[in-house]
Formats: sequence, structure tokens, C-alpha cells
Amino acid sequence: MMSKRIWAGASAMTVVLLLGACGGGGPGGSGGAFSGDKLVLAVLNDQSGVYKDASGPNSVKAVKMAVADYQKKYGDKAVVKKIEVTSTDHQNKPDIANTKASELYERGGADVILDVPTSSAALAVANQAKTHKKLFLDVSAATTALTGAQCNKYTFQWAYNTYLLATGTGTTVTQSGGKKWNIIFPDYEFGQNMTKSFTTAITKAGGTVQGTIPTPFPNENFATFLTKAGSTNPDVIGTMHAGGDLINLVKQFNESGLKEKGVELAVGLMVINDIHSLGVEQFAGTLFTDPWYWNMDAEARAWADRFLAETGNRPSFEHAGNYSAALQYLEAVQEAGTDDADAVVAKLEGKKVNDVFLRNGEIRAKDHSVVHDANLARVKKPADVKEPWDYEEIVTKIPAAKGFPPAEASGCSMKP
Amino acid sequence: MTQSAITEAPVAGPDVPVARRSPRLRWILLAVGLVAALALPWFVYPPVAMDIVAMALFAIALDILLGYTGLLSFGHAAFWGSSAYVTALIATHYGVPFPVAVLGGAVFAMILALPIGYVSVRRSGIYFAMVTLAFAQMVYFIGYQWSDLTGGENGLQGVPRSFFGIELVETESFYFYYAALPILLFGMWAAWRIVHSPFGRVLVSIRDNSQRARALGYEVEKYKVIAFVLSAGLTGLAGGVFAISHGFVALTELHWTTSGDVVLMTVLGGIGTLWGGAVGAFLTVMLADYLASSGFHGIDLVTGSVFVIVVLLFRRGVWGTVRHRWMVHRQRRLSSRR
Amino acid sequence: MSAVLQYVVQGLAAGSFYALAALGLAVIFGVLGVVNFAHGAFYMLGAVTAAVLLDTLDLPLWWSLLVVPVLMFVFGVVIERLLVQWLLRLDPLYNLLLTFGLTLVFVELVKQRYGVSGLPYRLPGGLQGRVDLAGVVLPRYQLFVLLFSVAVCVLVWLLMTRTRVGMIVRASTEKPELARALGINVGRWVTPVFGFGVALAGLAGVLAAPFRAITADMGNNFAIILFAVVVIGGLGSIVGAVVAGFLVGLVEAFGQAYAPTFAQILIFVLMALVILVRPAGLFGRQEATA
Repeated sequence: MMSKRIWAGASAMTVVLLLGACGGGGPGGSGGAFSGDKLVLAVLNDQSGVYKDASGPNSVKAVKMAVADYQKKYGDKAVVKKIEVTSTDHQNKPDIANTKASELYERGGADVILDVPTSSAALAVANQAKTHKKLFLDVSAATTALTGAQCNKYTFQWAYNTYLLATGTGTTVTQSGGKKWNIIFPDYEFGQNMTKSFTTAITKAGGTVQGTIPTPFPNENFATFLTKAGSTNPDVIGTMHAGGDLINLVKQFNESGLKEKGVELAVGLMVINDIHSLGVEQFAGTLFTDPWYWNMDAEARAWADRFLAETGNRPSFEHAGNYSAALQYLEAVQEAGTDDADAVVAKLEGKKVNDVFLRNGEIRAKDHSVVHDANLARVKKPADVKEPWDYEEIVTKIPAAKGFPPAEASGCSMKP
Repeated sequence: MTQSAITEAPVAGPDVPVARRSPRLRWILLAVGLVAALALPWFVYPPVAMDIVAMALFAIALDILLGYTGLLSFGHAAFWGSSAYVTALIATHYGVPFPVAVLGGAVFAMILALPIGYVSVRRSGIYFAMVTLAFAQMVYFIGYQWSDLTGGENGLQGVPRSFFGIELVETESFYFYYAALPILLFGMWAAWRIVHSPFGRVLVSIRDNSQRARALGYEVEKYKVIAFVLSAGLTGLAGGVFAISHGFVALTELHWTTSGDVVLMTVLGGIGTLWGGAVGAFLTVMLADYLASSGFHGIDLVTGSVFVIVVLLFRRGVWGTVRHRWMVHRQRRLSSRR
Repeated sequence: MSAVLQYVVQGLAAGSFYALAALGLAVIFGVLGVVNFAHGAFYMLGAVTAAVLLDTLDLPLWWSLLVVPVLMFVFGVVIERLLVQWLLRLDPLYNLLLTFGLTLVFVELVKQRYGVSGLPYRLPGGLQGRVDLAGVVLPRYQLFVLLFSVAVCVLVWLLMTRTRVGMIVRASTEKPELARALGINVGRWVTPVFGFGVALAGLAGVLAAPFRAITADMGNNFAIILFAVVVIGGLGSIVGAVVAGFLVGLVEAFGQAYAPTFAQILIFVLMALVILVRPAGLFGRQEATA
């Protein structure tokens, strides 16, 4: 009785195993210059969580715009006719980003993954890119580890990093007279790194950092911290908070009376959507580094008009960054004549680029950091706003050479 | 109304294992379960399959507390996540084969569970849920701020997957699945042993009536703490395998939403059914995986609604409902035969 | 010295949000035996509603303080009638799970409708600026929040001690066995009490709107701290919830001033200590613990 049953179970299992083994064979190579005879651009980002507005679904549309522009430019001369853009929601969970990236490369036929906000998710995807030897162009994650200790041959960081934010704002504000600083930062990796970078930049520019005040995360009540920060009479209070915490802090800063005393607020990381949803009134006068602003010149504005027609919103720098990354990838594929990752990387490395997003851009070969000119921006007063989304006044340009760390200092080694 | 103890078992009716009534059914179910576990990575993308089985053990471990001891832990992410971190740290720094690292993670989870359990079991029922949640939040904050150790919000990246130099296991997630499966199956077997041992029966009697159990001379708190620590250890096994499978650990593993997810799996599968957790894990992980590329963005809308519907209409859960139907059917057949 | 005073007021002001919301949590638990996991979500909805009313109808804070609690009361009544009431006879864990599910749904719906970056809110002119109290300079609004919530707490206290309904609610919250023995029928007050508790959470949300980020996620961490508050105060105690609310606010403020990164951890440490020393909470009835 018993043995019969076990036998039946075992044979059932064997059948399943055999069936699976047949089905589990690797994907057949197509043999052409393009795997699967098409190009797949996979946007992997946060479509439902905190980064939805700044990037999210509209970045997918930006990538589609790039594909359309490529096809218009090359027409019949395009080396690949069939281009797909797919969209995956990593739900802001790094483990989903990790699994999905691996699946996109292995089974989804993805030639390149784009965007990927959230540092932990971006670093996990970078590891997948390295393992699968496929491209990953990160736009929305800020960690310098992507082009530093954890860099690899197939990963590029397109738009910005924490160093740019810190030196851009820190150096420029100090040089224009904000000598005495107090920095309030959330006590986690991003906040700690930003504070270090800011301190270096400020000291170099001839300023002093009177104090750095760590805060818990998440945190709603900043009254005590602001009282402490204001007690040393600084010229500038720097904050490294983002998202909801940043809004909390700004609201309570406005109420604290420090503004009237002439204390300026400099923000480490802010995206135009933050200003849009809270209104310029709250942020008026705030200084921050914007890697790209839609109304910074005629070329940017022309593209922003197209984006507005497409989505109903003005683009953030992350949207423009995704467009640029997709476009330059397609150009590199066109040059290489194949989607073979190594060939495309060879075309990208060291290339000097100017496009809607990149000004004086260079895709650095050494650390795969894409460097370009950025802006120091000040949020306008409500009275100066002339049209919807007209929120920023460009105080000064931050040249690429100053905004990004020298490649030698990145600590990146491309060896596999 | 201030119930300080659960006066009613979470699922109506005492738990009568099907197995005891029918040894034949038990073997069939066991074989079906094994085949399903072995066949899974052929039908599901292997890393996702690994997630399912790891989450299944997580949910089963939670059910030891929720279903068999009557304690709802809303802070199990603390054990899942801390084991994931410790496993990853051991694997990174000592390069030991991954099962050793996982074991280390599980042991750490048990050590962490001891003080948390000791304090938490002083409150039962609803309080227990709130207190465990608060403690887990505390562990989360520590993980967030101790970035030298945990990598902060960048997470611990590039966790190696060493396995006695067998390259297929170390690089291919498909073969890794089979290398890691025994650990998780062992965990499930242990859970089954725990709830069907004399110790498990004491737990059930505590759940049903702690006053009575105390009167019978059982040290109720001690039993609860032991159950808590054992559950944390099994959770740790699952969390460790999860970390190795992904090759990195991020703070989400410690976040309270992870605690909520596993409660959903257990409730969806059926409280007090043990194997229901596996069903719940399968459904939940597959749903999240499907929604990621479906174009529908709002997974919490679905998750939350499922919670509401299950709690209002299907309190037995999927597995519990099936089992109940089968038992009713069997009962009828037996009585008609008589 | 003036710094210390400033921290005290700031702590009490932060504590007002906890006190108001915890009060709502406590009466709901007292009368229904339900731990309302969605309390943080109701707090969030209160703030979001105030922001939406300001945006669409130009309804200022003063009116929102009146209108939003009424709306939240109605909403609470609907939720209780539609969902919560069906689980009242079962293990209280089921309603915890139900309200947990509702939290996910509410938060996600707000995200879908109003985005994730937050909603704007501006303070009425009369509440802007600062006041100087014997050398301690405070934002006027912070002081207003503190006075307003103390007033509400006193009002609720009067309601509980001076009216028949209040006494019934209080009796069944604090001495359920006695209330039952005396044949007090609390049944017909179940629904309004749930609505009342929800309204208090909503009111805390309105108060928070000018001061804090109005995002879908604003209630998540708040709810967890709220749980610590009621565990510290003792769930069955109305006074305990209020006192613990202010206490936690103070711990938070002083923690932030002197041990910034541990400010929130301190709250949980306090909770653990309370459980070890007085398991039923500072104001809970000790004999009630198992």
C-alpha cells in the first residue's frame, strides 16, 4: 500500500522534473546584430510611491519621446526598426527592483534599464547589470557609490549625485556671502554623506560650519532643532531632508522667525514637483541645486513644451534626464550597429554630448559618471511667478568641472 | 470590554489536524506539497519562487504565534530583517557557505526575540500587537541610523552566495533554489513538529483559556516567550535565505509594512492552519510580482481590500475554508454510513 | 533656562497632537473594545480634508476646525455601520486587522488622488508670527495649538463627567464590569462613540495641517507612536491617554534637544519601562492585566 503510494508520488515528481527540464532550456539566440531582432528599453521606477511625481509614469513618456525622436531622425537608416519601451513599477521596494531587473534582463529581453530611483534599489540593479552584462543608465538615484566603490562597466549615472548637490549649493552660497552655516540633517546614510560633502565645500570656499544637527527619521517636529540651529546666529541654515520631512522643516522654518532675521535656507535635494505641490509661497527664497530647469533656455523650454503637451505637466530634471539617457543610448546603438552591450558601452565611454538635458556633457570613461553643467536656483516669490511652473530663478551656472568630483577621486575601479 | 486575554480562539472551533484523522490524506498532501515546492521554479521565475517559499516559512512561523498561541505579532519584520542583515554580514565577512550564515542569522533573531518577547508577553491580545509593532519600529530606527554596519538606506550590497565552490548554485538562481529549499523545508517541518508536540498543545490551551492553563500549573508567560523565540528563529531562517537569494539587504526588510505583509499572508491563508501561510505567501508574492509590470499602480489598494474582505467574509482563510469544507463533507459521509 | 522653557512648550505643543488623537483612540477602545489601527489614517484624512477645503472653497483654518471634525464624525459613523460593527462580537484582533486593511486603502486612495508630494496649506494671518513670553520666543501658532487642544481635552472631560452620556461612556471605558453589573446599556452609543473618536483624530489632523507635511503617509509613523502613547497611559484610561500624549511630546522634545538621534527610540524605551513596571500603563487598572 504504502510503498505504492510513495512510488506514485516519486514518479509524478520525476515527470514534472523532466517536463521542466525540457521547458527550462535557455532562450535561443537569434543570431542577428540585435537579440530578438528588437531593442527593448525598460524603465524601472517608482510608479506609486514617494518618487512617483518627480519621475514615475511621466519618465516612461519621456523615454518614448526619445524613441520617437530617434526614429524621426534616422528614418529608414535606423539600424533597428523595432523598439519597445516597457514600464515596471518597483513599488519603491529594493527587493522587487532586484528581482524585476534580473527578470527583465534574462527573460524580458531588456537591452537597457533606465531610471531606478532609491539608492538601495539602484545599487541592486547595478549588480544585476554587472552579472548579466547588460546596460543600466541610472537617472534618479543620488548615491555616489554608483560611480564610486560599487561602479561597474555596464552602469552609468546620468543626471546628478550627492556631490553635485553639495558642492553646487555649498560652494556657491558661501562665495556669495553666506559664510556661517548650520546644517540640519536626517541621521542616515544620505544625510550623513551630504553633510560631509557640504562641510568640505563650505570650508573650501572660505566659510565655516558652526554646527551639524542630526535628526531622527521620519520626523515631524523640527521646532527644537530649528531653535538650536538659530541660536548661533548663522547666515545660512542648510537642510539635507527630502520629501515629507523637508516640507515639515520648511513649514516650521517659516514659522520660526529665522527668515525675518535674515537667515537663508539652503536645501540639499529638492525637485520642482516639491515646489509645485506645496506652492512657491512656502519655499520662496530657498536656494538649491537643480541639475536642469525646464525654463533655463530656449532649447530646454521647447522640449518642455512638447512634454507639457504629452503629459500636462512641466518636466522635472529627472524626466529630462531619462529622455537624454534614452536618446544617447539609441545614438550609441546606431553608431555601434548592434545592441551588444560591450559595443554600446565602448561608443558611450568618453563621448562629449550636448542635448536637451546635457550641457557641456561628458560621459566619463573612468567612472561612468555623466557630468554636465548644472544650476544654482532660488525659488521665486509668488509675485514674480508669471505662468504655471514658473518657480525658479537661476542664480548661477555650476560648471561641470566644479559640480562633479574629479574622476580620479571617485574610487571607482571597472575591473570585473 | 477590556479583554486582557483572547477569550475566543481566532478561528472558530478547536484545531483538529486533518492528518490525525486520516494518515492517508496526510501522505498525499505531503507529496503534493513537496512536488509543488520542487516544481515551482519551472513555472515561476526562480528568484520569485525563492521569495514565495521564504515568505511561506515566514508566514508559517508567524502562525505558530497567531494561530496556536493567540498572539498577533505586528513586529516580526524585526526578526526577518535583523536575521537578513546578520546573515549578509556573516556571508560577506567570513565567506562561509550560505547555510552557515543563515543559521547565524536565525540564532541572532532568537537572541533578539528573547528580551522583546519577555517584555511583550506581559501584555496579551491587542496590547501585544501594539507593543511588538513599537519594538520593531525601534529596531528599524537602529538599522537606519547604524549605517556603518547596515549601509543605511543604500543597504548591504553584493552579498556573496558561497556554497562549497559549486558554481552553478553560486551563480544560477535556479540551482540556488534547490540548495536553499531544504533549509526552508526543515523550518516548516520544525514548525509542524512544534505545534503537534505536547508543547504545542499547551500553547493551544493557553490560547483558549490562559487562566485555566495557569490553574493547571503551566507557567503561561514562559511558554509564550519560548513560542515567541522559536517563531523568531524560524522567521530568521526565512529572512536569511531571502537575503542570500537577493544578494543584498535593504531597510524595507525591517519596515513595519513587512510585518503587515506577513500578517496578511497568514490571515489570507487561514489563521491556525499552519500550511495556510504557504498558500497566502504564494498568492501575495505572485500578486505583487504581477502588479509590478501590469500597469496598475496601487498595490496597497489591492492588499488593503483583500484584508478587509478576508476579515469580513472569509475569516477561515483560503486553506482554512478548503479544510473546513472537506471536513464537513467527510463528517456527513461518516454519519450517513452509520 | 529660556531654552529649557522653550523645549517644554515645544514638547507640549507636539504632545497636543498625540493627546487629542490618543483620546479618540482611548474612547473607541473603551466602548467598542477595538484598537483602531486606522487612527493615523484618520488623522491624515483630517489634514487632507482641511487642505482640500482651503484649496477648493477657500475655507480658512477656523472653519476647518469646526467642519472637518463633523465630516470625520459622519465618515466614522459610516465606517462603523458598514464594516466595524460586524466584527464587534469576535476577537478584537479581527477589527485590528480590518482597520489595518482600511489604512492601506485610505493611504493609497489619497496617493492616487492627490499625488505623493504633499498638499499646500497656509496659515490665517492672525496666527502667523511669534509671541514673546518672558524671554521665551514662540511661534504664535504653536501656542495656539497647545491652548486649543488643552481646551478640547477639558471640554471632553466635562462632557465625560457632567453629562449622562459621558458618564455612561466613561463608566464602560474605565470600569466595564461594574457598568455591566449596573445594567448600563452602552450598545446604542457604540456608533456615535466611534464617530467621536474618529472626529478627534481628524481634528488633530486639521491642527497639524499648517505645521506639518500633508502627505498620504503622514499618519503612518504617527499611528505607531500613538500606540506607544496609549500603552504608556493605559488603554482603558481617558486621563492616561491625554497625560501620556503630552508626556511623549516632552520626551520627544528633550530627546531631540539632548540626544537627537535617539529621540524616537526614547519613546519606545519609555514604553518598555512602563510595561515592565506597571504593565497596565500609568493610569490603567493594574488588576486588569493577565
